[in-house]
Amino acid sequence: MKKTIYYIMTAGVLALGLPSCSFFEIDNYAQPEETVKGVVIDVATGEPVLTEQSTNGIRVRMTELSYGPNVIHNPDFYCRDDGSFQNTKVFKGNYNIRVDGPFIPIVRENPDGELIEDNSITCDVKGTTELRFEVEPFLKVEFVGEPVVSGGKITAQVKVTRAVSVERFREQVEPMGGYNSNFTNVTDVRLFVSYSSTCSQRSQYSALSSKIEYGGASFESHLGEPITMVSSGTAKPNRKLFIRAAARINYGTPAGSGTRRYNYSEVKEVNIP
Amino acid sequence: MKKIICILSIAFFAAVSCTTLVIPPKNIVTDDDLMSSQSGLKIYLTRLYSQMPWEDFKYMAQWGFSGNSWLGCLGIEGTGEAVNRDGICASFTGENTPWWGLSYTLIHDANHLIEKFPDYKDNYPEIAYNEFLGQAYFIRAYSYYQMARRYGGVPIIKNEISYPFEGEIEVPRSSEKETWDAILEDFDAAVELLPASATFSGTADKYAALAFKAEAMLYAGSVAKYNEQVSGRLTGFGEKTGVRVIGFAEDEWQACSNKYFSEAYKAASEVIKSGRYSLYMKQWAEGDKEAQYQNMNAMWRDPASPENILVMKYEYPTLSHGLDAYSSPWIYRMPLSAGTCPTEDFMELFDGFDRYPNGTIRVTDGTDHSNGNYILYEEPLDFFANVEPRLRAYVIFPGDFFKKDVIEIRAGIYTGNLPIKVLKADYSYAQRGRGHWDQDCFKGSTKTLFMSPNVNTEKVTYKNATTGEDVTTYASGANGPFYTNAESTVTGLYLRKYLDPDRALEDIGEGKSDQPFILMRYADVLLAAAEAGVELSIAGVASPTGDNMLQTATEAIRAIQKRAGANVLSTMLKGDTESRDLVRKERRKELAFEHKSKWDIRRWRVVDEQNRKGFWGVEKDLTTWSDGTQFEFQGFFPFYSSQADKWFFDIAFMDCARKTFSYSPVDYYFGIPGGEVTKSKYIDQQPNR
Repeated sequence: MKKTIYYIMTAGVLALGLPSCSFFEIDNYAQPEETVKGVVIDVATGEPVLTEQSTNGIRVRMTELSYGPNVIHNPDFYCRDDGSFQNTKVFKGNYNIRVDGPFIPIVRENPDGELIEDNSITCDVKGTTELRFEVEPFLKVEFVGEPVVSGGKITAQVKVTRAVSVERFREQVEPMGGYNSNFTNVTDVRLFVSYSSTCSQRSQYSALSSKIEYGGASFESHLGEPITMVSSGTAKPNRKLFIRAAARINYGTPAGSGTRRYNYSEVKEVNIP
Repeated sequence: MKKIICILSIAFFAAVSCTTLVIPPKNIVTDDDLMSSQSGLKIYLTRLYSQMPWEDFKYMAQWGFSGNSWLGCLGIEGTGEAVNRDGICASFTGENTPWWGLSYTLIHDANHLIEKFPDYKDNYPEIAYNEFLGQAYFIRAYSYYQMARRYGGVPIIKNEISYPFEGEIEVPRSSEKETWDAILEDFDAAVELLPASATFSGTADKYAALAFKAEAMLYAGSVAKYNEQVSGRLTGFGEKTGVRVIGFAEDEWQACSNKYFSEAYKAASEVIKSGRYSLYMKQWAEGDKEAQYQNMNAMWRDPASPENILVMKYEYPTLSHGLDAYSSPWIYRMPLSAGTCPTEDFMELFDGFDRYPNGTIRVTDGTDHSNGNYILYEEPLDFFANVEPRLRAYVIFPGDFFKKDVIEIRAGIYTGNLPIKVLKADYSYAQRGRGHWDQDCFKGSTKTLFMSPNVNTEKVTYKNATTGEDVTTYASGANGPFYTNAESTVTGLYLRKYLDPDRALEDIGEGKSDQPFILMRYADVLLAAAEAGVELSIAGVASPTGDNMLQTATEAIRAIQKRAGANVLSTMLKGDTESRDLVRKERRKELAFEHKSKWDIRRWRVVDEQNRKGFWGVEKDLTTWSDGTQFEFQGFFPFYSSQADKWFFDIAFMDCARKTFSYSPVDYYFGIPGGEVTKSKYIDQQPNR
C-alpha cells in the first residue's frame, strides 16, 4: 500500500517534470576562458599606479555591449597592489572597460550628463587581451631612506608630492561641475603595518599602523618634504613586518561616490630585532 | 486494495465535467463586494494595512520587510545604540528584502481604491467616504516615503496599472525632488480627507498623517541640505534617462530644503496645536526619580497613553512577535537572549554621570578611562544613583531589577591589591582587539583577574573582605558578560525598553510576545517641530505659521527633558548649529530603540568618514572609536574587587563578538535591486554605484 502510493507520487512528480526537456540536457555553453589583463600607468612617469586590492583601490569595470543600451556591467574587480589587473574568466565578447581610482577620472561628464572626455577602452576580448590605461594620479607617495626600528617602533620618512598639478587638476575636474578649491588638499598621510606583504588600508595590523591628519590646506608646506611617521603600539621582537605609506586628497572617485582613495608607496620589509 | 487505488486514480483523472460555467465564480471577490459597504471596505483596508511597511518588532534593517520577527533586536544596525553577536549587526547599507516590488504591490492596491472608490460614493456618508479615500492616499504617501528615503527618486505611479494595460507600462524614475513633492502632495490629500479620529483602530487619522508628514518632510529637508556636505556633493543623473535620480541641483537645494522644513514645521505645529496629545506623565512626579523611571517604563504598554498617535497592536496567538524571546537577559534565555546590547557610547549621551574634563563618563580617578585607579562602589547600582531616569527605563543596568529579579551582570572578579589600576595596558582604538583576556592580570603568572569564558565555568574562591568568609563563585555574573560566549550581553548592558516586565519565563518564546509597538508618538512630533524650527532659523526663513519657532522648539525640548528627568535646557535655543545639535542629541536619546535613529543619522549625513564627528547628534572626538573608514562601539564592564568587597567599572571595547562598522557616501542611497534595472529600459541604477 505504501509502495503504491509512493509509485503514484513518483509518477506524478515525473509527469510534472516531463515538459521541461532542458532538465535532461547538459549545459554545454563554453566556460568563460578569455583573459583580460592590464596595467594602470602614470602617464607622466610611466610607472604603475600603486593601490590596494579592495573596494577602496582601483576598480576595473567591464561592460559587455552586445546586450544593447540596457546593460548591467559585469561584477567589478580590483587591481592588485602593484596597479596591475587580470581576469582569466571572461566570456568572449565586445566590452567597454574602464578604471576608477586615485587619479583624474578617465570618463568625465559635465553636470548635464554630457560626455567631456572618455578614455575608457572598448575592444573585443578574445584569447588574452592586454590593456594599458594611462592616467594622471593625484599624488606620489614614497619612502625616503630606510625605516628605522627602535624599541619595537618603526620610524619611516615619507615624501608626498603631487603627481598632477593643482592647475591641471582644476582644468580637468572643474568642467564636471561642483568644483571646490579644497578638492586638492591632502587630508591625511598613513603608515600601514602588516604581517603580510599585501599591506594596505584593508589589510593592516591596525594596532601598529598610524595616521597623521591635516586640516584645510595645511599640508601644502609639507609637499615634497619628508614627513616622519612612527608606528603606533609596540611590535613584538623577532618578527618580519611590512610597511607601506599612503596619502589621499579631498576628492572622491568615481565622481559622486565620495570614496576618497589612497595613493600608495611601495611595500617595504622591516625586521623587528 | 491496489486495484481499488488504481481504478480510483484513473477515475479521478478521467472524470470530465460537462457543465458549462456561466455563473460568476463565488471565489472571486469583486470591487462590488469590497467597496459597496463598510464591512467590505474594512477587509480591503485590512489587506492594505497588513502590507504596510511599518518598522516595528517584525522589521529589522538586515531583513527588510520580511514580515517576521526572527532574531528581533532594536537599534543594532550601526546606530551605536546597541550591538549584538550576529551578522545582522551591521551598517545599514541595504536590506535583504528590498522595499521596491512589495511597495508597488501596495501602491497598486491603493491606486485601485483611489480610482474605483468614487463609483461607490453614494453608498457612504461624506465623512466616511472621505476617510476611506484618505486612507488610500496615506498608504500611498507612506509607501513612497519609505522608498524615497531608501533610493532617492523612484518611479511615481499615481494611476492603476493592471495587466492587460493599454499604453506604456514602464515608468522611469522621477527626480528626487519630484518624488518628495509627490509624497508631500499625497500626505496633504490624506490630511485633508482623514477625520480627527479613525473608524478602525490601528489606521491613520488626520493627526497620524500630519505626524508622518512631518517626519517625511524632515527627511527631505535634511537630505536636500546635507547632501551638500558630502564630499563632492551627493547628486547625479541616471544613465538611461538623464534624470537627476539622487540629490538636488546646485541652484535649487536651498529652496527645496526650506520648503520641506517649512512643511515639516507646519505639520508638526498643527498636531501640537490640536491639543489632542500630550507626553505620557501618568505616574510622573516632580523631583522623584523613581516615579519618573516607572512612568517611562509604563508608557510603552498603556493602551490609553495620550502620547500614542499610531500604534501597531499585537495579540497572541493570532498576531504576535518575539522580542522577549530574543532580547531578554540571559537568565530568561528562551530560546535566545541578549539580541540588543546597549553600548557605553550610547550611555554617554545621558545626564547624571560623573565626567572627566573631556566630557566622557568617569570610572577612574585619572584623566580619562584609560588611566588612573578605579573608583569603587558598594553596589553596582550605586554608580547610576543620579542618572537620568529615562536611561534606566531604556537600559537594564548591572544589578538593577527586572521582573522582580536582580540582573547580575559581572564581567569578572579582581583579586589583586588596592588601589586597582586600569586593567588594560592600552585602551586606544588601534588596540581594541586585545580584550581583558589578553592582559597580564588575566594571563600572566600572577593572575589577579578571573573571568568566565562561558556560563557556569571558571570558579573562583576568595576571602570576602567584609565578613572574612571564604566564598566560591563563578567569575562572571549569571547574565554574563562571558569572554567567549557572546550569547549573553557583550557590552555589560541589556535592553529594557519594550521588553515585557510581567511576562513569566515560561511564557517567553518565539511568537509569544504581543506588546504593542508605538509607530508614532507625540514626543516624535515635538522633536520634529524643534528640529524643523531650528533648521529654518539657521536658514533665515520666516516662521511658516507666524509663531516664534525657537520658542516652540525650546518648549518642546524642555517638555521632553522634564518628563525624562534629564537636565532641562536653561537657555533658549538659537538659530545656530549648536542648538541644532542639542535638538539632535535629544532626538538620539528619546527615540532610541524605535527604528528611527538609523534614519536620522542617515539624513543628517553623519555616518561617512568625513562627517562622522556629528554621528551622536553632538560633535564627538572621532579618534576614540573610529580609524577613518571603520568604527566600533564600546562596552561597560562591571568587575567585583574581592579585596575591597566593592565594584568598579571598565569602559572598553568588547571582549568577544566585536563588531566593526563602515559606511561610505554611496550608502546614503541604497542600490536599486539589480533585477529591476536589468529588465527595464528605463529604471536607472544609482549613478555613483
